[in-house]
Amino acid sequence: MSGSARFRNNVKISERHGSREWAVEKVALLLLMPLGLWLASTAFTLAGKNHEAVLAWFSSALNSGLLALTALVFFGFSSLAWKVIIEDYIHKPATKSALMALLNLICFALAAASVFFIVRLALGSAPLPAGV
Amino acid sequence: MTKPNDAAPKGGMSDHTGRYVIQPNGRTTPLSPHMEVWRWHGTMLASILFRATIIASGLGSLFLLAWLATLALGPLAYGTFLSLAASPLGLFVGFGLTVVLFSLLLNGGRHLLNDAVIGLDLKSANLLSQLAIWGPPIAAVLFWVVLFSTGRVSL
Repeated sequence: MSGSARFRNNVKISERHGSREWAVEKVALLLLMPLGLWLASTAFTLAGKNHEAVLAWFSSALNSGLLALTALVFFGFSSLAWKVIIEDYIHKPATKSALMALLNLICFALAAASVFFIVRLALGSAPLPAGV
Repeated sequence: MTKPNDAAPKGGMSDHTGRYVIQPNGRTTPLSPHMEVWRWHGTMLASILFRATIIASGLGSLFLLAWLATLALGPLAYGTFLSLAASPLGLFVGFGLTVVLFSLLLNGGRHLLNDAVIGLDLKSANLLSQLAIWGPPIAAVLFWVVLFSTGRVSL
């Protein structure tokens, strides 16, 4: 599609957006390193705690903010990482693009649901289903 | 006939794969991997396990979402979640989730270092891979030992 291949340090530069996706995936994984450690310590803190104690944990803006950030970064990383797996094993174009669409839909829905629940818990909203 | 030979060639070229063949002309050359001519390497297993970690963490995130959902549904639903989590199957799933989390950290860390062109020589690559393979289950066992010993979780 483009003209002659371009190189940096004798390595071919990707012609379209492949390298940027790769870089975004790496940045997301890098962010997940401290967030994952924090998640492990959170799991340790909240293990076996009752509803009231967990809600008290969520009332801290730092806690719920970090948890929402972790969810967003994780599902972003997940969509890129699963995309690579689909690209590696599914070679039929129609099936591949259908699976990609499904993957992005699932990741978006899971991220949105996570943020929805976290925001409600952070605000101390009434238990769902609200208004019934 | 070519014959696999683990002995390093005398002063020959070494590609650090650790296995060589004596060619019919008497020359010693490194064994090239091919369809059925290969062996397990730690680096290979770590790479496969990272892909498995990506798949497992995707599925595992559903359990964390269930945790959030039952919390938002109120104390009654959360009580059901806690009793399910305390059942043998629930504890097994919980242990698996910690293995996956530590695998994402340690194997992901290995991947990041290698992507940044760090630790690509044979020795460091093997060391990082062994850490990525054995670290997660060991860390998870320690994590649960402390959880039980501090009384946060009990049978």
